[in-house]
Amino acid sequence: MIQINNISKSYIKGKKSVDSLSLEIKDGEIFGFLGPNGAGKTTTIRMMTGILNIDEGDILIDGKSIKNEPLEAKKRFGFVPDSPDMFLRLKGIEYLMFMADIYDVDISKRKEKIETLTKKFDIYKELNNQIQSYSHGMRQKIVICGALLAEPKNWILDEPMTGLDPKSSYDLKEMMREHSKSGKCVFFSTHVLEVAEKICDRVGIINKGKLVFVGTFEEMKQKFKEQASLEKLFLEITEE
Amino acid sequence: MGKVLRLTKIFLKNSFSDMNDKMGVSTKSKSRVLIYGLLFIYFAGIIIFFGYNLLDGLIEIHQESIFIGMILFMIFGLVAFQTIFSSINVLYFTKDNEYLLPLPLKPYQIILARTNVILLIEYIIVFLVGLVPLTMYGILTSASFIYYVIMTISVILIPILPVLLINIIVMFIMSFARLTKNRNRFQIIAYIIILIISVGISVSMSGTKESMSNEEMAQLIVQANGMIELIKGYIPTVDYLAEALTTNSALVSTMQILKTIVITIASFIVYLLIAQKLYFKGLVGNLFGGGAKSSNKEISQKEFRNNKLYKSYIGKEFKELARNPIFLMQCLLPSILIPILMTVIFITGINSESEETGNLTQMIQEIKIDTFVVSAVILGIIQFFTMFIYISITSISREGKNAIFIKYIPVTLYKQYIYKIIPNLIMYSITVIISLSIIQYLLHLPVLILLLIFIVSMIMGGLQSILMLIVDLKRPKLNWDSEYAVAKQNLNLIFPMLLSMINIGIIIGLVFLLNNMSAIIGLILVGVIYGILIAVANKYLYKNQEKLASNIM
Repeated sequence: MIQINNISKSYIKGKKSVDSLSLEIKDGEIFGFLGPNGAGKTTTIRMMTGILNIDEGDILIDGKSIKNEPLEAKKRFGFVPDSPDMFLRLKGIEYLMFMADIYDVDISKRKEKIETLTKKFDIYKELNNQIQSYSHGMRQKIVICGALLAEPKNWILDEPMTGLDPKSSYDLKEMMREHSKSGKCVFFSTHVLEVAEKICDRVGIINKGKLVFVGTFEEMKQKFKEQASLEKLFLEITEE
Repeated sequence: MGKVLRLTKIFLKNSFSDMNDKMGVSTKSKSRVLIYGLLFIYFAGIIIFFGYNLLDGLIEIHQESIFIGMILFMIFGLVAFQTIFSSINVLYFTKDNEYLLPLPLKPYQIILARTNVILLIEYIIVFLVGLVPLTMYGILTSASFIYYVIMTISVILIPILPVLLINIIVMFIMSFARLTKNRNRFQIIAYIIILIISVGISVSMSGTKESMSNEEMAQLIVQANGMIELIKGYIPTVDYLAEALTTNSALVSTMQILKTIVITIASFIVYLLIAQKLYFKGLVGNLFGGGAKSSNKEISQKEFRNNKLYKSYIGKEFKELARNPIFLMQCLLPSILIPILMTVIFITGINSESEETGNLTQMIQEIKIDTFVVSAVILGIIQFFTMFIYISITSISREGKNAIFIKYIPVTLYKQYIYKIIPNLIMYSITVIISLSIIQYLLHLPVLILLLIFIVSMIMGGLQSILMLIVDLKRPKLNWDSEYAVAKQNLNLIFPMLLSMINIGIIIGLVFLLNNMSAIIGLILVGVIYGILIAVANKYLYKNQEKLASNIM
């Protein structure tokens, strides 16, 4: 479970990039975080993961505060950042083993877990090559594999579908569903409204640092014009 | 032309901007000016010190014009040497190349803008290496105002031809798809070739000394003239500019400068014509050719082993350093090569003056090795060798945008800082061991003193590693367009040098204070002082681990 309690963040004095944002993502839920460019999605995610300090408020991951018990909180989520260009000089397998060492993945499970994940994403045969030789989509896949290796209870994914081919995108969505069905939680940001509509139990829409809507798509339709397309609803919510 | 200037401006901004600029926080202002100022004073001081001795000697025998030739030669050499590195990186390995190609720009505009960037990088060093001694020449020879005007024009003109020449050579080599298929290997091979050439030049020049007899001075003059003659064949403007600067006739000066300008413009036109044919061939090959070998090997069982975190983390740091040609060349190799290189130059220097070898052996035997002075000199030499270890000072910046990784994994920042420091310390220890082995071969120090020097040096290395990490944390350069920007065009790199200078200052101070003290007590005292400093630095790092990472976002 992820609880975001009234958080704010300013890069420039007097201008809040995220303003008094509160959210609760329950166990067993897939939560989509939507918003236009520069709305504060990545800033929120970076505060959730401890990359950015929180000016006001707090974030709890399974009850552990990212502010006060950062290590305990960090052990409880797997994170996929928005850019997959990381550790390019390492081989795929070296990166995954490094992640396994960091998250203390049991040696008996490593081989099986790595094989399952990488075969699912069709990058198993590439594991002996340096990540720099991977395409953008393959890099995205290896980063996702690294984040999921330790079987974290909470998934925090920043634009995870970017660059994925249709099959991998489908597989990831399936994995998200399986994960939430087993009583765990998925929080991800996306620009693709259709993806959010298809798999999210609830969505949150952020605009200019403020949370302007939280709920299911049905609730969104009820609150605004019932017959309008998803795209129109989104534009209406974010256009003030 | 407007587009070329705008492109140049953007390229420069891309190369030199850092994260803080992007976040809208200005770090330029005073501290940056201060650092540049200190750096300028430091190098200008060294150049004046050595240049003055030489020029003074030459004025005595009325051969001061040779000095101009030598300076021009030096500028040419330095520009050529520097351009080999900057040219490959600016022309081929900057990240914006991929975005640049689809833009509606004419090939010559891209080439001109790239060339401008390389030239501007060179001007920074040329102004220092050229203007300082040439101004000193003007003052010591009471030159007229015209001299200074010609001097300024010369300094602007002289780097152009070597830059164009090296660019063409680089473009020619890079146009071979075969070579660009593995750009990593290409860079390493190029680096080794350049290194061999530079050692060769250093060895051949190592016979020159500060104090010279008339006979030796005459020999040096012949050598210097020989060098200029050699360059003249390739770069005629060196000779024209030398004449323009040394003649008393304003007409001759003007004519020579005009000749140089005409030749430079003509060369630029020829360069553009050739570059348009060569550059894009290599660029496309480099962008879309394979960066690394692809392997279809099965993953061996050995890969699935359980590692301790520290081993895994430090291993990762070393892999990233060794597999990236620029980091390998700038961060890893210098710690091994610099002490060896210096020793080769030193030993060939001695051997070339065979009659002096006996004197040196005799001198070494006469040295009282158990005095603190000797140990202090050795510590100073080690400081000199270790100022080029750039692992710690680039440990955060090297990660670029991926530096945020350290903040979201469940490992304390302090632990990660220590893992990032250890590679610096390991390479530092290699430099110390190589240096001490050579010193031991020459001096035969008592084992206890040798051991103490090693321990004290390592404590100093620990301090360097921690302080440089703190500097990089406070001033990270994360938004770079090529690794070259981190390992070369990074202002932070002067900090290891500054620290070594301060350390040498402290050692000299202690020598004066502890003149008659034995080596053992002196070394223990230095060890204690640096031990305290390391404890303070470590405590600061531990206490401020979160705050120090606040610039990584």
